Amino acid sequence: MSSSWLILLFPLAGFIFLSWYGERISKTLAGWIGCGVVGASFITSLVALSDLLFLPAEERVGRVHVLYQWISTASFKLDLAILVDPLSVFMFLIVTGVGFVIHVYSVGYMHDDPEYSRFFAYLNLFIFSMLVLVAAADFFFLIVGWALVGLASYLLIGFWREKTSAVLAARKAFIMNVIGDVGMVIAAFAIFESFGTLSFVDVFAAAPGTFRPNDDQILLITLLLLVGAFAKSAQLPLHTWLPDAMEGPTPVSALIHAATMVTAGVYLIARCHVLYELAPYTMYFIAGVGILTAVFAGTMGMVQYDIKRVIAYSTMSQLGYMFLAMGLGVYSLGMFHLMTHAFFKALLFLAAGSVIHALDGEQDIRKMGGLQKIMPLTHATFLIGALALAGFPLTSGYFSKEAIILSSYHEDMGNFVFWAIAVLTAGMTAFYIFRVYFYTFAGKTRSPEAHPHESPPMMVLPLLILATLALGGGVLGPWVHEFLGPVFGREVHHHHDGGLETIALLVGIGGIVTAALLYLTGKKRMELIKEAFAPLYDLLFHKYYIDEIYDLLIVKPTKAIGAFLEEKVEKQGIDFAVDQIGIQVKEVSRGIGVWQSGRVRTYALNMIAGMVIILLFVVFL
Amino acid sequence: MLSLIILIPLVAALLLIFVSRDNTSLVKTIAIGAASATLAVSLWMLASFDMGNPQMQFVQSLHWVPALHINYLVGVDGISLWMVVLTAFLGVISILLSLKQEKSLRNFVALMLALEAGTLGVFLALDTILFYVFWELMLVPTYFIIGIWGEGRRVYATMKFVIYTLVGSLLMLVAILSLTMVHYGATHDVTFDLRILTHTHIDPSMQIWMFLFFFVAFAIKIPVFPLHSWLPHAYVACPIPALILLTGAMSKTGAYGFLRFCLPLFPDAVESMALVIGLMAATGMIYGAWIAIAQKDIKALVAYSSISHLGFIVLGIFARNEEGIEGSILQMLNHGIIASALFIIVGIIEMRMGTRNLSELRGLSKTMPILYGTFMLVMLAALGLPGLNGFVGEFLILMGVWTSHLLSDLSGILVLMGGLSIVFASIYMLYMFQGTMQEKPNSENVSDIDSGEFKLLLPACLLILLIGLYPKPFIDRVSPSVGSLLHLEKTVNLDAGKDSDQH
Repeated sequence: MSSSWLILLFPLAGFIFLSWYGERISKTLAGWIGCGVVGASFITSLVALSDLLFLPAEERVGRVHVLYQWISTASFKLDLAILVDPLSVFMFLIVTGVGFVIHVYSVGYMHDDPEYSRFFAYLNLFIFSMLVLVAAADFFFLIVGWALVGLASYLLIGFWREKTSAVLAARKAFIMNVIGDVGMVIAAFAIFESFGTLSFVDVFAAAPGTFRPNDDQILLITLLLLVGAFAKSAQLPLHTWLPDAMEGPTPVSALIHAATMVTAGVYLIARCHVLYELAPYTMYFIAGVGILTAVFAGTMGMVQYDIKRVIAYSTMSQLGYMFLAMGLGVYSLGMFHLMTHAFFKALLFLAAGSVIHALDGEQDIRKMGGLQKIMPLTHATFLIGALALAGFPLTSGYFSKEAIILSSYHEDMGNFVFWAIAVLTAGMTAFYIFRVYFYTFAGKTRSPEAHPHESPPMMVLPLLILATLALGGGVLGPWVHEFLGPVFGREVHHHHDGGLETIALLVGIGGIVTAALLYLTGKKRMELIKEAFAPLYDLLFHKYYIDEIYDLLIVKPTKAIGAFLEEKVEKQGIDFAVDQIGIQVKEVSRGIGVWQSGRVRTYALNMIAGMVIILLFVVFL
Repeated sequence: MLSLIILIPLVAALLLIFVSRDNTSLVKTIAIGAASATLAVSLWMLASFDMGNPQMQFVQSLHWVPALHINYLVGVDGISLWMVVLTAFLGVISILLSLKQEKSLRNFVALMLALEAGTLGVFLALDTILFYVFWELMLVPTYFIIGIWGEGRRVYATMKFVIYTLVGSLLMLVAILSLTMVHYGATHDVTFDLRILTHTHIDPSMQIWMFLFFFVAFAIKIPVFPLHSWLPHAYVACPIPALILLTGAMSKTGAYGFLRFCLPLFPDAVESMALVIGLMAATGMIYGAWIAIAQKDIKALVAYSSISHLGFIVLGIFARNEEGIEGSILQMLNHGIIASALFIIVGIIEMRMGTRNLSELRGLSKTMPILYGTFMLVMLAALGLPGLNGFVGEFLILMGVWTSHLLSDLSGILVLMGGLSIVFASIYMLYMFQGTMQEKPNSENVSDIDSGEFKLLLPACLLILLIGLYPKPFIDRVSPSVGSLLHLEKTVNLDAGKDSDQH
């Protein structure tokens, strides 16, 4: 057993222990255990990293560690195994690293919650599940991890289980993700049909020889996998669960619905890039959906008032960028953006959580304001996160996003439309995050009765760590490209195009300035604009009415058909028909008037008579 | 050894008639002792089972009606192995649950033991007449249990159940007799030995009829859509302990019948009918799930979910390849574990709260954290969460369907229907779980499950995890027999004269 298994086992042990004994140990101990196992997992991931770095680059890929044979039928064999290569170790580090910081933050944030240990048990379960997802060496255990993160996400969204809206949001997320799971399961069947195995290493080795580009079967496989990817990463049209998922505690939003789980779809495409390269049509589709989701989510983010929902839409939007990168074939750029996004988005969520914590659960930005002086550290870290998200020069987000935007024009599949939408979205991003920033921190307080205060050190320290990463993470770029190089097997072209870069930069800064002009100088202008574009504003504010459309087209008919089937088909149809047959048999036998003594016997005799007839029929036919 | 498995519960059932009905402690001792002994012997059988051997093992034969060559003939192979263990296991669980029964305990447990014996006999019999006898033996105790101890419209439910089943089993008897006649026509030997009969070549036009007769009998027992309408009535009326045997073990006898009779005896008929049956099964999967979504009574909800899950099993069997059949056999085991645990939980909730109506239940998780945890695990297994046992079976079944030669014309659609029913499963399971467990509780003074109830659920929970994490030992014991089932050769020809090169 390789030591890499420990990376998975620590959080699993934490989950099991805290679920069994969580109620019986002190809060402090539960918190320590919850954080400790993830920290241990992070350190083990670092060991795995150093192991890899000592190897020559070409030997770093395809390192499968088998635990035992899981199943073996005549044609289907599968091992319980993990794949430890640069891509999975890269994900290990993000998941356990950012995960650890968020665990520490939760110690402070959840301090007054009566079900503190259950929270950490679920968080540990999530980390374990996410590690299964990224460590899986085959499609089967990928699906297992895929579903387990869905479960953990369900549990954590619905953590406050007495709150009806949380229960409903959790259900929505779970069902939406099951739809994705089913897509992946069917993809696995198609893969098994084509390759006779589900193992990544075997499938990817055989794929180029099995398919020609854009064969029907490879298009089918890649598209079915995308169903899972889109559902998990909240891409159109399977995105509606993500904003609702903000019902969960804020650390959950930071960990699951920003930094890690929602990036699983991006990871999936990176992992299966061999298959996707054989399906250029699918690649184009991914890029298209990615850029559409980016701009679509960006527009909705501009008008929301719930601080967490704005950040949630920005997550969707940034995921769109990552999918764009994947579709364009610049995988390591996408993975790099995944990393920087994990830093600055977790930071934004945690800083927002710090604000919410200080205001006793208030999430409406219209009731915030003037927190700049009261919460200086939260303010500074939120500002760094906002700058990184907006792609302000020299922050980490600048390096990763700018590179994707440039690729959207300069890569083979890139074109002006992709580029233009990407730049437009960047402008919107800068606008809405600074809209939140100005609302929250600038000006005067809008709810005088609240007594906000700076958060405790256990919460501020994680903010500082993440702020450092969000600010300086850009320097890791070249290393990421080099480290992931052996997995993707192609060089990243670094495009330089002064003109386009300048435009993108100006649009971004323009977004910030617009937000400042609108929200720093009083309400008047904002109201005017709102009225001038009332129908559009309404459309955006109601999230394009997609929830309502789904409700009308899917949820309501499903329920109605269920009731119809029960009432009309089952009770008045099948069951009624059966009863009628019984009644008729009874009537006939009564009519014959011979066997009236007992009902069961009547039936039985009838049947025996029938049986004899049938027997004669069979024998003499 | 196999005879012991059948005889212990049967003898105990008879013995109980001679025990005074007031002597509850002796009744309890006998019932628990018999059920546990049966489980112990079946585990012993499991341990000494030779997993590489595809043939019948531990065969025992006694002359019964020598004049007609009817024998007492029992044996076990990979197809029946887990069903026997499952039935014995559920036997213990259901007997332990029945001890809470207050109304004439003695008769109740005696009937339960008889039901267990009948079900075990069905799984073990190799003589077709013996099989038929046990098949009918299952019916009698069920009739009395639902009719006397049931709830609601119990007489109506019993009637419906009995008539449905009788129609099927009489058709089956016809088919059993004609099977022997066909064999007699070819060889001039009278035999009811299934091992010999499976090698008989039957004329394809004849196969269709005999296949259909068997099929209807088994399809009613499972039940397969649209022959299912007895199930909601019977399940809702049935007391929980008996329901565990009914859904966990007895519904599997139908699926087992497909594997033991329909597939090996009538390969041509299966070939021509598979697509239709596959569609019926898949329709039932969606139909049951869809109606389950509309249920308010959680017992009815689980009953309809059973229709859906049992459809999976039938679909896998008629994919007729390794993955499909092995998945189905595993799923038979899984469904036995999961559905029985779900019904136990329904029983616990009903006993505590006095209602099974979802609109009156809510927020139990706060006062019942242990039930919350176990219920969650069982519910997740039921909705097929990857990593737990239900998913292994469903995955193998649908993979079998996808690659099936017989179902290839519609395999994509059937798999999609399977996928849809999995999505539905998560919807109705969450309705049930969240509806009972979450939101604000109505009442704070509800006690959590006690250690006795927890112990009833614990084995199911452990098996859910074990099969999910390590299905290999379960599948390995099934594979050889399934292999030999799929590659069966027809050596005894119908028209020996015409086909002389075979002789």
